[in-house]
Amino acid sequence: MKRIIPLSLCLLLIVGLIGTNVLAAENDPLVLTMFSGDINPDDTGFEDPIAKKITEATGVKLKMEYPVGEYEQKVTLMIASGEYPDLIFHKNAGPFVEAGAFIDLTPYIEEYGENIKDLYGPYLNRLRYSIDDPSIYFLGSFGVGSKTWDVSGVQLQHAVAKELGYPKMETVQDLEEALKAYIEKYPTINGQPTIGLSLLADDWRFLITVTNQAVFATGGPDDGEWYIDPETYEAVLHHTRPEEREYFRWLNHMNDIGLLDPESFIQKYDQYLAKIASGRVLALTDARWQYEQAEQALRQAGMFERTYGSYPIVLNENFRRADLQDPGYSAGWGIGITVDCKDPVAAFKFLDWMASDEAQILNNWGIEGVNYEVIDGKRVIPPEEMNRRLNDPTYRKTTGVGLYVYPFPQRGDGLLDPTGNTYTITTPDYIKDRYSDVEREVLSAYGVEMWMELFPQQEELPIKTWGAAWQIPTPEDPKYQMAWQRIQDIIKRRIPEAILASPEQFDAIYDKMLAEIDDAGLAYVEEKFNELLQNRLKHWGIVE
Amino acid sequence: MVTNRTWGDRVFNVFLYVFMIFMAAITLYPFLNVLAISFNDSVDSVRGGIHLWPRQFTLNNYREVFTYPTLVRGFYISSLRTIIGTALGVLSSAMVAYVISCEEFIARKFVSGLFILTLYFSGGLIPEFMLVRKLGLMNNFWVYILPGLIGGWNVFVLRAYIDTLPVNLKESAKLDGANDLTIFFRIILPLCKPVLATVALFIAVGQWNSWFDTFLYASSNPDLTTLQYEMMRIMQNTAMSSTASMYGLTAANAPRISPESIRMTITVVATLPIVAVYPFLQKYFVKGLTLGAIKG
Amino acid sequence: MRKLYNQRYLILMSLPFVIWVILFKYVPIWGWTMAFQEYKPHRTFFEQHWVGLAHFRTLFQDPMFYEVMRNTLAMSFLSLLCGYTLPIIFALLLNELRDGLFKRFVQTVSYLPHFVSWVIVAGMFSRLLGVGGAVNEVLMSLGIVDKPVLFFAKGEYFWALVTSIDVWKEIGWNSIIFLAAIMAVDEDLYDAAAVDGAGRFRRMWHVTLPGISTVIAIMLIMSIGNLINIGFEKQFLLGNNLVKEYSEVIDLYVLNYGIKIGRYSYGTAIGIFKSVISIILLFTANRVIQRFNVEGRVL
Repeated sequence: MKRIIPLSLCLLLIVGLIGTNVLAAENDPLVLTMFSGDINPDDTGFEDPIAKKITEATGVKLKMEYPVGEYEQKVTLMIASGEYPDLIFHKNAGPFVEAGAFIDLTPYIEEYGENIKDLYGPYLNRLRYSIDDPSIYFLGSFGVGSKTWDVSGVQLQHAVAKELGYPKMETVQDLEEALKAYIEKYPTINGQPTIGLSLLADDWRFLITVTNQAVFATGGPDDGEWYIDPETYEAVLHHTRPEEREYFRWLNHMNDIGLLDPESFIQKYDQYLAKIASGRVLALTDARWQYEQAEQALRQAGMFERTYGSYPIVLNENFRRADLQDPGYSAGWGIGITVDCKDPVAAFKFLDWMASDEAQILNNWGIEGVNYEVIDGKRVIPPEEMNRRLNDPTYRKTTGVGLYVYPFPQRGDGLLDPTGNTYTITTPDYIKDRYSDVEREVLSAYGVEMWMELFPQQEELPIKTWGAAWQIPTPEDPKYQMAWQRIQDIIKRRIPEAILASPEQFDAIYDKMLAEIDDAGLAYVEEKFNELLQNRLKHWGIVE
Repeated sequence: MVTNRTWGDRVFNVFLYVFMIFMAAITLYPFLNVLAISFNDSVDSVRGGIHLWPRQFTLNNYREVFTYPTLVRGFYISSLRTIIGTALGVLSSAMVAYVISCEEFIARKFVSGLFILTLYFSGGLIPEFMLVRKLGLMNNFWVYILPGLIGGWNVFVLRAYIDTLPVNLKESAKLDGANDLTIFFRIILPLCKPVLATVALFIAVGQWNSWFDTFLYASSNPDLTTLQYEMMRIMQNTAMSSTASMYGLTAANAPRISPESIRMTITVVATLPIVAVYPFLQKYFVKGLTLGAIKG
Repeated sequence: MRKLYNQRYLILMSLPFVIWVILFKYVPIWGWTMAFQEYKPHRTFFEQHWVGLAHFRTLFQDPMFYEVMRNTLAMSFLSLLCGYTLPIIFALLLNELRDGLFKRFVQTVSYLPHFVSWVIVAGMFSRLLGVGGAVNEVLMSLGIVDKPVLFFAKGEYFWALVTSIDVWKEIGWNSIIFLAAIMAVDEDLYDAAAVDGAGRFRRMWHVTLPGISTVIAIMLIMSIGNLINIGFEKQFLLGNNLVKEYSEVIDLYVLNYGIKIGRYSYGTAIGIFKSVISIILLFTANRVIQRFNVEGRVL
C-alpha cells in the first residue's frame, strides 16, 4: 500500500501533466506578433474583454509592438535586420515592399477572404499595389465608405455672431468686417486686449492653420501639399495657384490693419491654447482636433459664448468649400502579413474575421447586453453606459470597446449593416447631442441644426476620383525627396515673411518664394508626382 | 590696510550672497513651475498663468501616470542599470585614465588616442544596431551596460585630475615595491574621490535618462523596458489620443488629461529619484581630503 | 622586452578596455562606407549601389549647407565663450561660500534646470518673453519700450537668446566638474597666500585658478573638438519660421535632409565631414594650448 500511494501519485502527476499539456495545446491561442506603426494609447496587452472575445472567435492573440521613438527609424532597422513580426501595420508601404517583406494576399483573399471582399467591395481593386505590381500586400486602414457630418471650416466665436445679429458669414470680407466691428466695441476681454485672428505655426502645425486654409478657402479639398485639377487631373503644388496668393494677401492685409495676432508665427502650441482658453481670440482658421483642448477649458469655465462655430468662409463668392467632398477610398496605410509569419493562413483568417459584421459590431459597439442593448431590432447604448463612454477616460481600457477598430479593416461611418443599424456609433444625432445651448441658439439663428448644413453638401460636389493625394506614397528617389524637403523649407520661411511684410512688399516676397521654389526643383517634383498620380488613375481604371 | 581688506571682504560677501540667492531663485523656478502644473487640473492648466502654486489642485495627473502597471518594473530596471552601469563605468574609466596618465607606459599615446577619437565620430545607427545583434545583446540586460561602458569624456576628466596629483606619491610607492594595480586601487582611487563622485554623477544621470537604447534594442521585451522609456510611451499615448480625432478615430473617446500636464507630471516622476542623488554625492566634495590624508 | 615585462600590469589593465573600444567604437566604422553608396537597408553590403563622392558633392553644392554651418559655428563659439567660462566663475564663487547648508542648497538647486527638458524650457521662455510676458511688462512699465518686443521674431536676437538660455540651464551642471577639481587644490597654498597678505580675489586668481588649470585646459580642448556637434533640440524648439535663417543648424539639416527621408547615406557623409572637422579642431586646440605652457593635454 505504502508503495502504491507514491506510485499512483506519480502516475497521477504524469497523467495530469500530459493532460494539461494536451489541454493547453488545444486552448493556447496562436500568438501573432504585430508591429503597429501608430500607437494605441489604450493598449491592454490584448487582455481586455473585447480582445478575449476576439481570441475566442479566432484562436489568435496579438502581441503588439509600437514605435515609441521615430517610426521611420524603427522601420529602417527592422528592414536592415531582415527580421519581421507576423503582421505589420505600416504608414508607408514603399520600403517594406521594396524589401520584399510582405506576402501577396491575392490567393488568400480568393480562398478565405469572403468578409474582406465584402468590406472593401468595389474598392478591393484599389488595394492592388501598383499598375506594374498588381499584388495586394496589405489591407487598407480607415473606414471604407465613410460619411462626414463634422466639419471644422473657419471658426468664429459665438459671442461675435450674437453681438452682431448673426451677419452673413461667407467670405473673408464678411469675417474681417465682423472682427473689426466687434473689436471696436470690445477692445479688451476680461482686461486683456482682444485678438482678431490668431494663427499657429509651431512646427508642422503651420500646415494645418496656415497653408491648408489657403486651399480650403479657394475651394480645394485636402490633398496635402497638392492641388489636383478635377478636369485634367493635373497636380500642382497648391501654393503656386494665383488664387492662394490672394488668400495670403488677405492675411497680409489683416496683419496690416492689426486684426492678426502679432504672435501668430512665434507662439508655441501651449501659448496658443492658453490664448484661446482666455476667451479673447475671436476667430481661428484651424482644425477642431487642434483647438479642442482649449474649447474644453472654456466649457469647463462656463464661457460657452467664447467657444466657436464653424463657417464656410471662402476667399470670394466665386468659390465654394469642399470640406464635405467624398474622397473615395485610398488605401495608403494598412496591415500586411510578412514573409516571416509563422502561420499565414491563420493570420489571414484572423484579419478576415476582423472584417466580418460580427467583428465590426463587436469592435464598435462592444458586447451585447454589456455595452449596448438591442431593443426592437435597434442597437442602443443605455444612457449611463453612454455617459461612461463619453466621460470616463478609462472606458476604452477597461472595456476594450473601440480599441481594435483602427488600424484593422473597418467600415465607414453611416454605413448600415443587414439589420439596418449603423456599423459605427457616430451618427448626426450623436454629434448634435454634444452641442451646447449657446451653439444651438446660434445654429438656429442661421436656420440650421448642424454646422455641416452651412457647407456645400456632399451631393453637390463631385466625388474625388483620385482619392486622397496625401496617401500617395512619396517615391524612394533621393532627388525628389531632397527637392521636396527644400520646397517645404522655403514655404515655411517665405509665407510668414510675406504675411508680416508691409502690403507693398507682399508681391515681391511672394514672387521671390515662387522663384526659389522653381530653383529648388519644382518642375522635377511636379513631373514625378504627376506620373504617380497618372499611374494611380490608370490603375484604378479612372483614365485609360 | 587690515581694515581695508575686511571692508572689501564684507562687500564681497554681501555681493556673493545676493548673487547666490538670485541664482538659486532663477534656477529653482522652472522646477517649482513644473511641480505646480503637475498638481493642477489639466483642463484648467490650458489657460496658462500658473507659476509657483497650483490654481485647481488635483492628483489626477499622477493618477493617470500611475495607471500604467509597467512603471514599477521600469523603475526597477532603471535603478539596476544605473547602479551597475555607474559602478562598472566609473571603475573602467578610472582604470583607463590611470593607465594613460603613466608617462612611462609605452602604449600611452596609442591608448589615449584610441579613446579621445571616439568622442568625435560614430559609425552611425545602423552599424551599431547590427553589431549589437551580432553580439546577441538584443533584448538582453547587458545592452544597457556594455556598449556605453566607457565615455571618452569621463576618461579625460579623470586623467586631468590624476595629472594634478603629485608624482612623488607614485614614485615612493613604486620604491616600496607596489605594482600599478596596487597603486591604482590603494593610492589613486582614494585620492580621486571628488572627481570620481563627479564622473559617477555624469554616468548615473546618463544611465537614468536614456531611453533610446531601450527603443532600439529591447522594446520587444516588456521585462526590460526602463522608466524613461515607459515615460516616453505615456507621453506619446497622451499626445496620440489628443490628435487621434484627426483621423476620426476616437469619436467616442472621453476627454483626457492634456499632453502638457502629463509632460510636467512625468518630469517630476522621472527626475526626482536622480536629482536626489547629488546631495548624497556632495559629501565627497570635501576640501583638503586629498593631500591632507596622505601627509597625515 | 624587459620594458614590456615591467609594464605588464599597465598592459593588463588597459588590454580589456582596448578590446572593448575597438569592438564597440571602431568596428561600427564600416558604416562609413554608406557615405559612398546609395544605401538601402534591405540590400546586403555587396548589393549596394556605389556612388563615389556624389553625396559630398551634393553637400558642398548646397547653399543651405553654408547657412547651417554659419549658424552652427556662430552659436557654438558663443556657447564656448559663455557656456564654458561662466561655469568656471560660478564654481569659483561657489567655492567662496562657507561650507554649510546654504552652499549645498545653491549647488543642488543650480543644477536642477539641467533635468528639465528643452520642450518645457522653450515653452517657459516663449511665455516669459511673449507679448504679455513678464519681461515685456517690465520694459513697458519702465517706459523703455512703448510696444511689446517680439524677441523671438527677430533673427538677430536668436543666437544671443539661445546662448543665454543655455547658460542658465547648464551653468550649475557644468560647474560640477570644476568644483570637484577645486577640491584637489593644496590647502597649504591658501595658507601661504594668506600669510603673504593676498585678498580673496588674489587667492582665487593666483591659487585656485592655477590649481584647476589642467582640468580647465583639458575640458577646453575637448569642447573645441566638439564645436561642430551642436545638437539641434534647443535651436529647433526655441526657433520658429521667422528666424529659420538663424536657427537651423547642421544637426537639424542631417535630420531633415538625411535620416527623416531615409537617406542614411547622406547623413553618414555629413557625419564623416563633421568628424574630420572635429579632429582637426581637436589637434589644433591641443597644440595651441601646449604653447601656453599649461599642463594638460589629451594626447
